[in-house]
Amino acid sequence: MNHDIPVADLGPAGEIMAHAVDACVHCGFCLPACPTYALLGEEMDSPRGRIFLMKEVLEGELPLADAAPFIDRCLGCQGCVTACPSGVPYGELLTTFRATTEQKRERPALQRAVRAGLLTALPSPKLFRAGAYLGQVAKPFKSVLPRALQAPLDLLPGRVPAKFDMPTFVPAQGKRRARVAFLAGCAQQVLAPNFNAATLRVLARNGVDVVIPEGQGCCGAAALHTGARGQALSMGRTNLAAFPTDVDAVVTNAAGCGSGLKEYPLLFKGEREEEQAISFASRVKDVSVFLAELGLEPMLPLAKPVRVAYHDACHLAHAQKVKAQPRSILKAVPGLDLVEVPEGDLCCGSAGTYNIEQPELAGRLGERKARNVLSTNAAILASGNIGCHTQIETHLRRLGSPMRVMHTLEVLDLAYRGELS
Amino acid sequence: MIAERLRSALGARKVLTGKAERMTYRHDAIQIGALPMAVVLPEDTADVVTTVKLCRDANVPIVGRGAASGLSGGAAPARESVVVAFTRMTKLDLFPERREAWAQPGVVTATVSERAKPFGLVYPPDPASWRTSTIGGNLAENAGGPMCFKKGVTGDYVKEIEFVDASGAVHRAARDAFDLAGLLIGSEGTLGLITGARLRLDTPPAFTRTLMAHFAEVGQAAQAVSRAIASGAVPAKLEFMDRACLGAVEGYLGIGLPVHAGAALLIDTDGDDEETVTEELELARAACEAEGGTVRVAANAAEAEDLWRARRAISPSLGRIRPHRMNEDIVVPRSALAEVVREIEELGREAGLVVAQFGHIGDGNLHPNILYDPKKESSDAVHALAHEIALVAVRHGGVLSGEHGIGSMKRDFMTDAVDAVTMDVLWRVKRTLDPRGQLNPDKLLPEVSA
Ligand SMILES: Cc1cc2nc3c(=O)[nH]c(=O)nc-3n(C[C@H](O)[C@H](O)[C@H](O)COP(=O)(O)OP(=O)(O)OC[C@H]3O[C@@H](n4cnc5c(N)ncnc54)[C@H](O)[C@@H]3O)c2cc1C
Ligand code: SF4
Ligand code: SF4
Repeated sequence: MNHDIPVADLGPAGEIMAHAVDACVHCGFCLPACPTYALLGEEMDSPRGRIFLMKEVLEGELPLADAAPFIDRCLGCQGCVTACPSGVPYGELLTTFRATTEQKRERPALQRAVRAGLLTALPSPKLFRAGAYLGQVAKPFKSVLPRALQAPLDLLPGRVPAKFDMPTFVPAQGKRRARVAFLAGCAQQVLAPNFNAATLRVLARNGVDVVIPEGQGCCGAAALHTGARGQALSMGRTNLAAFPTDVDAVVTNAAGCGSGLKEYPLLFKGEREEEQAISFASRVKDVSVFLAELGLEPMLPLAKPVRVAYHDACHLAHAQKVKAQPRSILKAVPGLDLVEVPEGDLCCGSAGTYNIEQPELAGRLGERKARNVLSTNAAILASGNIGCHTQIETHLRRLGSPMRVMHTLEVLDLAYRGELS
Repeated sequence: MIAERLRSALGARKVLTGKAERMTYRHDAIQIGALPMAVVLPEDTADVVTTVKLCRDANVPIVGRGAASGLSGGAAPARESVVVAFTRMTKLDLFPERREAWAQPGVVTATVSERAKPFGLVYPPDPASWRTSTIGGNLAENAGGPMCFKKGVTGDYVKEIEFVDASGAVHRAARDAFDLAGLLIGSEGTLGLITGARLRLDTPPAFTRTLMAHFAEVGQAAQAVSRAIASGAVPAKLEFMDRACLGAVEGYLGIGLPVHAGAALLIDTDGDDEETVTEELELARAACEAEGGTVRVAANAAEAEDLWRARRAISPSLGRIRPHRMNEDIVVPRSALAEVVREIEELGREAGLVVAQFGHIGDGNLHPNILYDPKKESSDAVHALAHEIALVAVRHGGVLSGEHGIGSMKRDFMTDAVDAVTMDVLWRVKRTLDPRGQLNPDKLLPEVSA
């Protein structure tokens, strides 16, 4: 798209955004891939429309406040990126746009406070755990709380699961085949400690030495995507320093964190650590990719076939282009019958803090996803992201379904232990 | 103010008046036009009638809009107008026993076949934009697609339409004398707003085979087409793409296309008798090999779908080469294809601009796209080259638009292609249905000096 974005004034961020706008030929191929367009049917709530609006704001033709409602409704799911034949890096455009415009935003005080609270609590398992307990206590009083506080409560489990203390090293069982460093994740540790426990067991079982560096922190994705670039940068620096370079891969089991780490080259563009960030990001792998490449140790066949549906988390399928590997490791379980979810490419509506900022749309997407999942008649839904997990489970329960929702690695872990049924 | 009047008549939900909203309704896939005064999102025919009447009284032009995937500037307002976007009129009723469907204009094209599939039926017109574009837009442009070589274009599947004229009157027109429906099909929103269509459905062929052949040089590919058809093959689809297209699509999909070839053909044969389908594919293979081509037959449906996905991605993938393009849509006699393709390639070289060519070559339909960067290359040079290309088509006995329409993009070239007497008839038809010139002004028909 033709533009007059003042690239020189905006620096590296300007270049990133101008390049993305340039590449868009407004063909509309992305429209059917966009969840908000599917719900609202309006151009402003489509990828093409948002690119247009961001361009107009950057050119000074449109006040930021006019464009903001439509940019805010974007889930950042990157379904449009997969669909775009012209190669528009929409995710980079959106992230950079949010980061460069956040300080110019006017927000109501309570909203600001909730955002700030979340940005402090999410990256810190300790604070998040404390918050989750608080939430557990507050849940019964939900209806009398202000709206801005109700939505975050919906995200929290009725009971906070018992804590799992992360070791700093897990040795390979049998012949050592590889050595990796592991990112522990933040909120996930509190909400679903078994994701990590299961992942570590499966890695060890497959002859992998796992180092869990102590100095590591949050990947910074939540901060970067809500426009807090400074905070994201300092988190990134912590991780660049903490992770060893003498490992075969940096492994993650949370799709959002994985893409967060892979975005370091974008985050550090123009910074001193740019080179280091590029090399670090090239070593980051989702655990499903790592295991698919390594080749799984065999498992005993299941006593009777189990039907498992796989849900593509946006941050795996669209942001990291990882679709085949999780399916291939699930199919490696003899007797596991893998089925696809209709409208599989459409976001479930979880998308980081979207549930809190756009509860109405998030709810409609969550219900649509849950209905599609139910139509598969599977016994288990597997996925590789804590956000999707919570969202889909919530909506399945609302529809009265007892279907089990698990991390892909939990399914494998059960299979190795002969307990999958 | 027209915006306020529309709002109070239709309700706020159906009328967009904010600047941000109006801004996003300025363009189609090729052109960026004037900022609309308001955007109406009608939900039924009555909403359209109300809108047209209010605009008529206020003397405000109206531009119809589907998904804005058009490639000739059709849906981009040439001046301040009210844009009527049909994306919420998505009702689709199927009548399988009659092999028919009634579609509102906002129904996305691919949906018709998807919904008809359980009844063992398909809707054959298949523009590459079928997942995005709407039935209304397809009708207004008389859209074609790879399938049109054997099965025909949108117009061949329309039995009746409903439209609202410039005075706000609703008409139902079938295909009898006069073929008023035929008049509206391809009229690019300049004669009336289409609010519904009765579509003909078909049964899908039982068997389909697919091959791709690549050639060192574009002319060979064109000759292979003539040879295949002369030898008696009636391919279901027969598509062509040159080197630039192959490279751009491979950059998007990465499925191992022959990026170093000068050109490639993509051919489907289909039918209910497997033997005939295979025989026809063999005829096509022999013709390609005789012209020096390398042939690869798709082993299964998934491989064939990959190749067709590649074909559908050509046009937007070209954005990877240069951000801007002028897109031609000429049709020439098949016998002249090889020469035309070579001449156009040569013109591009002389002008120092990238020209990418692809199209439904079985019909002689070619899409030469001039790719450019407006910051580095002059738009005058681009326009001059586009005109030269149009003249190549006319010189070889061809026409200016196969399926993308004239819009604002090729309006100036109309006088090269249409004689003065015919032009006068076109204008008289236009004035009859739209006396005040309010429907999509400055499109399709060039101003004639009185
Ligand atoms: C990647 C790509 C590939 C394409 N491939 C093909 C192809 O293979 N074959 C082909 O023919 N075209 C193709 N096109 C062009 C385009 O998709 C078609 O012209 C399509 O029919 C436009 O439909 P739309 O809904 O997007 O209409 P728009 O672009 O929104 O409108 C097109 C014209 O129709 C008018 N219009 C829209 N709705 C109505 C209505 N209800 N009543 C009256 N007038 C109306 C508009 O005013 C405008 O003049 C392609 C476009 C792209 C971007
Ligand atoms: S598909 Fe890509 S090029 Fe086309 S409109 Fe969407 S973002 Fe732009
Ligand atoms: S990221 Fe998702 S929600 Fe946002 S524009 Fe793209 S497809 Fe739509």
